Amino acid sequence: MRDSRTILAVQGVVKLFGGIAAVDGLTTEVRQGSVHGLIGPNGAGKTTMINLITGLFHPSEGAIHFDGKSLEAKAPQDIAALGIARTYQNVRLFSGMTALEQVMTGCYLSRGTSLFASFLGTPAARRRWSESEERARGLLRRVGLTERDGALAETLSYGEQRRIEIARALGSSPKLLLLDEPTAGMNHAEATEIGRLVHELRDGGLTVLMVEHNMGLVTEFCDDCTVMNFGRLLARGNPQSCIADPAVQEAYFGRKQDADRIQALR
Amino acid sequence: MQTLLDLWAAHSSTVAFAMVNALMALSTYAVLSTGVLSFTTVVFAAVGGFLSAQLVAKLGMPLAIAFPLAAVGGGLAAAMVAGAFLKLETHWMALASLALVLITRVVALNAPVLTGGVNGLVIPRRVSLGELTVVLVLVALVFYRLSRSWYGLAARAVREDPAVASTMGISPYRVQFIAFLISGVVGGLAGAALAFTLQFISPETYFIGIAFTMIASTVLGGSFHWFGSIIGAAIFTALPVAMQAVVPAFEDVAKGIALLVIMIFLPRGLIDPRAAGLRRAARARIAAESNNA
Repeated sequence: MRDSRTILAVQGVVKLFGGIAAVDGLTTEVRQGSVHGLIGPNGAGKTTMINLITGLFHPSEGAIHFDGKSLEAKAPQDIAALGIARTYQNVRLFSGMTALEQVMTGCYLSRGTSLFASFLGTPAARRRWSESEERARGLLRRVGLTERDGALAETLSYGEQRRIEIARALGSSPKLLLLDEPTAGMNHAEATEIGRLVHELRDGGLTVLMVEHNMGLVTEFCDDCTVMNFGRLLARGNPQSCIADPAVQEAYFGRKQDADRIQALR
Repeated sequence: MQTLLDLWAAHSSTVAFAMVNALMALSTYAVLSTGVLSFTTVVFAAVGGFLSAQLVAKLGMPLAIAFPLAAVGGGLAAAMVAGAFLKLETHWMALASLALVLITRVVALNAPVLTGGVNGLVIPRRVSLGELTVVLVLVALVFYRLSRSWYGLAARAVREDPAVASTMGISPYRVQFIAFLISGVVGGLAGAALAFTLQFISPETYFIGIAFTMIASTVLGGSFHWFGSIIGAAIFTALPVAMQAVVPAFEDVAKGIALLVIMIFLPRGLIDPRAAGLRRAARARIAAESNNA
């Protein structure tokens, strides 16, 4: 069975924007080596949670621990250096960069040479550079992109751009990968492809936390899940039982008696 | 042959100024390439210019020592500026840098011991075209190496999206601080180059005029590649001269018109690496469509 050690612990996290609590006292845990689904209706606070974990926002209250270390008041680049990488809900690739350059940029943390040595072009730095380039090429293959290395990312299809983002996030060899709706705008076959990739990555030792709307995908590919609604925890545990939970059903589809009443009015 | 020599005699100073402006533009490009619009190149140039002028005039130092010291002076000034400015939002930073240019002039006017005050400084030595070329080639080499290094990649990422770059482990602050240092060193060199080309400098030399020229050169040439700054500076320096020969009445507005035309039709400047990629993609699309047809 998989490791049951907790790699990410979220304890009573609150995030206020003005008077509104986007995340309202959320507590959950992600096991090392698992694929963890973070689900909930629109506006539940899922993306805010991802932004809190990566340090783009800081919690108003509560604490987040990664690998036993507190992420409190840490800058995004320091959190990335601890081994957390992410993708974005609305693809955020760098304009003007080729697919390969995007992924190379993702390799920044694992470049293995100082900026100055790389500027001087010392033999060691050159070797490291071409190693990173090889790795970046490999990552593009890994996410299923061939013959796209030299193409400007903005000229590629939406699905391809999403996969470049995943490759870019893998560039730093993270321990925890946060995927914010990796299958948005993809058809079933493409989404299943992403699900398989996520499993492969997990089997290679990576922990994945993914925001996902596709319930079929969550039950098929997630080991655990956390369901949020209005910033609060609604349910936690294995995906099947979470989705069967009446509170979750209500949040997604409305209450049964309401549906019956509407039916009766027709 | 004689006409060629005459032509060269008439225009060698234009070439010299084009190289000086190229250094100024590269100093601006250094920060702009990390997403920072700053006019502080003027300040770094003033530090480098007055420092090297005094070293040569008062202490009789050779240019080979005065120029590197001007670079160091510019770099130190840049470190101080970066420390204070990088706390600001980018648009406020641009405004603050303009304020600093104004302050620098007043300070220079009121420190006659260092700058000659209103009377300015007469500089006994002139920098030759060959020496200027050496400086520009060395600086261009630095930019070439930077563009193909991890720093260059990080700079592009920070310019396009600092938040995303930070979640990839790239510190925007660190990258922009380094950018300011490079801008300071190159700006200091540019200031010295200007001083030894004009052979007379005063607080008015390092003022809004160069700020406009260097920003315009960078935008015209293209702010997404270091070579754009050199091309932009060459065009911007030659344009008024050419205009004076052809249509003298247009000399003053030529720069403004050139800038407007570029901003409307080529907003990313003459040298644009992305445009090539877009053209390639368009060609591939057309080829794919004709294959399907």
